[in-house]
Amino acid sequence: MTIVVLEHITKEYRLGEHMVRALDDVTLSIESGVFLAIAGPSGSGKSTLLNIIGCIDTASSGRISVAGHDVSGQTPDQLASLRARTIGFVFQTFNLLPVLTAAENVEYPLLQMQELDKEDRKERVQEMLELVQLGKFAKHRPNQLSGGQRQRVAIARALVTRPELVLADEPTANLDHKTGEGILALMRDINRKLKTTFIFSTHDKKVIDSADRLVGIEDGTIRLLGVRKEGQWAITNLSRKGPAQPAKKSQSEEESNA
Amino acid sequence: MSLAVAQGFLEDVFVQLAEAIVHSQSGHIQLARQGFFEHGAHQPEKYLVEDPVGDKKRIATIPEVQDVMARLSFSGLLNNGRADLSVIGEGIEPDAENRLGTSLRIVAGRRLASTDKYGAVVGKGVAKSLGLKPGDRVVVVMSTSDGAMNSVELEIVGVFQSFSKEYDDRGVKIPLSAAQTLLNTTGASALVVLLHDTAQTQRLSHLLKERTVWRDQDVRTWVELNDFYLKTVELYKMQFGGLQVIILVMVLLSVVNAVNTTVFERVSEFGTFRALGNRNSDVLKMVVAENALLGLIGGALGVVGAIIVGQVIQRTGVPMPPPPNSELAYVAYVRVTWFALAGALAVGFTATVLAACVPAWRVSVIQVAEALRQSQ
Repeated sequence: MTIVVLEHITKEYRLGEHMVRALDDVTLSIESGVFLAIAGPSGSGKSTLLNIIGCIDTASSGRISVAGHDVSGQTPDQLASLRARTIGFVFQTFNLLPVLTAAENVEYPLLQMQELDKEDRKERVQEMLELVQLGKFAKHRPNQLSGGQRQRVAIARALVTRPELVLADEPTANLDHKTGEGILALMRDINRKLKTTFIFSTHDKKVIDSADRLVGIEDGTIRLLGVRKEGQWAITNLSRKGPAQPAKKSQSEEESNA
Repeated sequence: MSLAVAQGFLEDVFVQLAEAIVHSQSGHIQLARQGFFEHGAHQPEKYLVEDPVGDKKRIATIPEVQDVMARLSFSGLLNNGRADLSVIGEGIEPDAENRLGTSLRIVAGRRLASTDKYGAVVGKGVAKSLGLKPGDRVVVVMSTSDGAMNSVELEIVGVFQSFSKEYDDRGVKIPLSAAQTLLNTTGASALVVLLHDTAQTQRLSHLLKERTVWRDQDVRTWVELNDFYLKTVELYKMQFGGLQVIILVMVLLSVVNAVNTTVFERVSEFGTFRALGNRNSDVLKMVVAENALLGLIGGALGVVGAIIVGQVIQRTGVPMPPPPNSELAYVAYVRVTWFALAGALAVGFTATVLAACVPAWRVSVIQVAEALRQSQ
């Protein structure tokens, strides 16, 4: 079952007088339940790709479908509602609300779910804080927590709505290496336990090794796709034909089932 | 806060000016015969009230009335032995006038007393023109209606200064009895009524008009008698209106600036809200609600500040330069009214809410990805 389908996605934006092509004819489909890394140097378009999948940025052309919803042409309010129930976000800079406690930060996305009463919310928040091993820090404000703890709160916040998909833009970039590994291990653990699809971007090779799917991106086009089976990467290099092949024609392939 | 204080200051200026006028010259209400207020200055003897003593007694029985006194106007020449100055004089009842005239400042000598049968106090300008000082003797000369000349010799006992420079340049006050001798009458030109409370003026004026103390009576309030009061009030209100507009614009600009800065510093926070599934309208509402709350708190603090500043100034006062057409400086206070406070609170609140709308709208329509990028 696929959770994300991108067809011929192009994203252009204006930077001063130049038009910059951040994504160039990207076609990709992502299966449900994978732990996928989007890798590439900075400026390669990986954040843009992640934003478009997360419906917080719009493509210039192409068709996108997320969790069975065709999102091209939906209104901002429809997209907001889709995000609220289907997608969780983890940010590089954590983006917690400094005036709220850890528990309140986690509870925030639930406030939009009218069907949950206060007791339900409290229960879910506690469950999520336990999941990220921060049960004892519920009353702490973000500034009383370490970087790693903050990112755990952010992960709990992303998961509290029980989304099908969690998007993490460079989740470990602001953390030291050891803490970053801990965060990745936690996300991997949750991915296995809850079957939640995780898509994260990174430029750190070590981080890539914890993924089971890999999308390599450079200059707005997909260059390689990887699937890891029993600890071994099977890599399909899409640019092996070399520079002779025009970049525009480079096509991605659908990831095959594991 | 400054709005409320400025308005309180204005309020006080009006009240002080009104009290000064009432107490230095006109009293609250004056009664005279029809025509006196228009033509009496030239021929006061034509508009005499015949039985001032009886009329005074009748008016004095009204409970709101603090005092009633008779005045006899005349115009003539004041002579110091060398030169003449045309003056506008009044025969007054010294004791009653001293109770009324608390704003009339004596700059030399003393006030007229009931024992001065032929004493006189003159305005500062009169004293300067004729080189008079207390103890000097002067002669007042006037022509009666039948053409004869009449004169009275007087001793200067004091020099006064009122709020009005014009009056100080021409005014002379002598005892009523001396003026009656001068005009050869037992009457008076006007009865001056002093009330306990200035706010009662309109009501009492209607009451007196209905009572008809004498047949062709003309009742005038201090506002009608001093048309410059309303003009001054209007002028001041215009000036302070300008000041208030400036304060308002400053408040608005600084609020817009402050709200703009705080909202745009938090763009990524609002981006986070929307990534988490808040709608644009939710974010808009949050920003406006937050600023409404801030405006309310800020306004309330301003009100408290205004009350404190008002109280402090009320105790110490602010020395002010003389108003136009006057030489007497005065001490201003601040009357902070509830109306002014409510107005200032409303302005503060509305300004913040209005100022929040534009940045809130801009933030709510910005692309989420764009908003989130601002934190990096």
